[in-house]
Amino acid sequence: MDYLFEMLVLALTWALINNFVLHYFVGICPFIGVSRRVDMAFGMGCAVTFVITIAALLSWLITYYVLRAGAPLTTLLSGGKTLDLSILNYTVYIFVIAGSVQFLEMYIRKFFRPLYKAFGVFLPLITTNCAILFACLEIMKHVCAINDPLGGLVPSLVLAAFGGIGFMIAIVIMAGIREELDHCDVPKSLRGAGITLITAGILALAFMGFTGVDRGLQQLLQDKEQVAESAAAPAGQNN
Amino acid sequence: MAGTGPTPLERFINGILPENPVYRQVLGMCPTLAVTNGMKSAMTMAGAVAFVLICANVLTSLIRNLLKPHLRILVFTLTIAVFVTIADRIIAAYMYDMSKQLGPYIPLIIVNCIIICRCEVCASKQGVFTAVSDAVGQSLGYALALTTIASVREILGSGTWFNIPVLPANWPDWVVMVLPPGAFLTLGLLMGAANWIGTNLGQRRKSAQEAA
Amino acid sequence: MKNNYLKQAWLVLVLAVCFGGALAGVEHSLSGRIKANKLADTLGQIPSLVPGAEQGNQEMVGGQLAYRAVDGAGTPVGWVVPVTGQGFADKIELLLGLNADASQITGIYILDQKETPGLGNKIVEPEWRGQFANKSISPALVVVKRKAEKANEIEAVTGATISSESVAGIVNQAAAAFRQKLAEGGQQ
Repeated sequence: MDYLFEMLVLALTWALINNFVLHYFVGICPFIGVSRRVDMAFGMGCAVTFVITIAALLSWLITYYVLRAGAPLTTLLSGGKTLDLSILNYTVYIFVIAGSVQFLEMYIRKFFRPLYKAFGVFLPLITTNCAILFACLEIMKHVCAINDPLGGLVPSLVLAAFGGIGFMIAIVIMAGIREELDHCDVPKSLRGAGITLITAGILALAFMGFTGVDRGLQQLLQDKEQVAESAAAPAGQNN
Repeated sequence: MAGTGPTPLERFINGILPENPVYRQVLGMCPTLAVTNGMKSAMTMAGAVAFVLICANVLTSLIRNLLKPHLRILVFTLTIAVFVTIADRIIAAYMYDMSKQLGPYIPLIIVNCIIICRCEVCASKQGVFTAVSDAVGQSLGYALALTTIASVREILGSGTWFNIPVLPANWPDWVVMVLPPGAFLTLGLLMGAANWIGTNLGQRRKSAQEAA
Repeated sequence: MKNNYLKQAWLVLVLAVCFGGALAGVEHSLSGRIKANKLADTLGQIPSLVPGAEQGNQEMVGGQLAYRAVDGAGTPVGWVVPVTGQGFADKIELLLGLNADASQITGIYILDQKETPGLGNKIVEPEWRGQFANKSISPALVVVKRKAEKANEIEAVTGATISSESVAGIVNQAAAAFRQKLAEGGQQ
């Protein structure tokens, strides 16, 4: 029960508080480029979430079992020597991502033909989406650290999936705002990227209001535990 | 195949202002926003991007006649990933504080659209010298863009420039400038300014030509 | 068909081999320096955290990584424990300096924090951190919004009460936990 609550707080943290786009500045290029219409933005958000989760799963497996210092498979194959292959991390991650995007492309071409046509060139461009590589790097940071409770498979997948959902939230909000901006009289030099970035700045300001929510939730959990313990103690003493 | 495409000098000059990677091509946004809260980190990032861009362009240009069309993106990606790893290790070894501050944004150079774009547009089609001048021009343009943004953010946000105080001590730091919202706002306004300058210069040139 | 693939992919394979060699070379020449940098970050702070200490030796005490601070002659004079906890904005990593039996805090050093610039990130300043020197671990430290009067009070950073309380909370919990682990391990 505690673990589930911890994972929920982690999910909330990555979706809203440490939002990939508005806090960490990753995934800006599609954020500016694809956020013209809400349905395109939603489709892009779903595609990115899908790719992030697959890429995160694969990179976690490879980092844990092969690449980090003292990884099980590498030790097994090298006859007991502890090797540190972490210099290959970045190269492996980018190829895992490229492969995941290929997989996504095949899947969408087969089952969602009109969506495939609508995406056009933006689908292979998901490979250069910083958000996916960023998720892999965060996971690498936790897996390679010593005794890090966030280095497990479930926290890493939560990070990736909800990071993607946070990206989707940001890009859909931006698309909604831009659809309204189309009816406004934006100064000529600010049209396009300029006004989008200024809007993103105001959005980032709004999302900053979420800071500290995860800490508050954790305090709430601790207080509840303490109340439960002090309620259980007298009950036990009465026995 | 000499003589096709822009000359090395044109490539060099284009990279700085007319085809500026940040203000004109709107590429490489992610590190532009993330590392520009101080001049020092901005310049380190510009240096890292310059290193990777020049090395990747040189190598791609050397092997350009051996590239198979449908495998070329794979080759570019592999090359860039390797050079970024090398850059990352060098920074961690010799500039450890910077490495901690820049964090995950150095490896994110791998997916920086600028580098793949230059490899695709220039290095895979023209000779080594052209590729190098293109890379140097684009790197200078990128460094220029980062300098403008980082100067605004650092001076308004902490009153310093390269960690040297430039504003009087009683300047109330506009903390929002060093935080994410400030990054977006600064870049948006500067982009508007760059567009306005560009259109104005273009109009003035046109009217000067018509008057002549 | 296979021949065709090999003809197409030979460049990729050759490049992969060359790059692998280059990366191995870079790793070989730089990894020592990088590891030394990481360690110096922590070890370099030990003389300023524990009075009289000159260097630290890495040890595991009850599952907790710690550095035993020793003076020039090699006599143990205290401990430096790296701990992480939740701050206002994100995790705070700090080094906690303790005396030899972990009954007194000798100082703290903030390794990593992402608190609000200009407000919460004043916790890294030596003037504020210096409040933690020569404090007993019990009664637990309490953060107050005025000048500290009692021995276990810490004055908060103006406008950053939660960041200050987070640091105090991390220090209290880590010091108590480490003292218990020392007692269980029977080490002094």
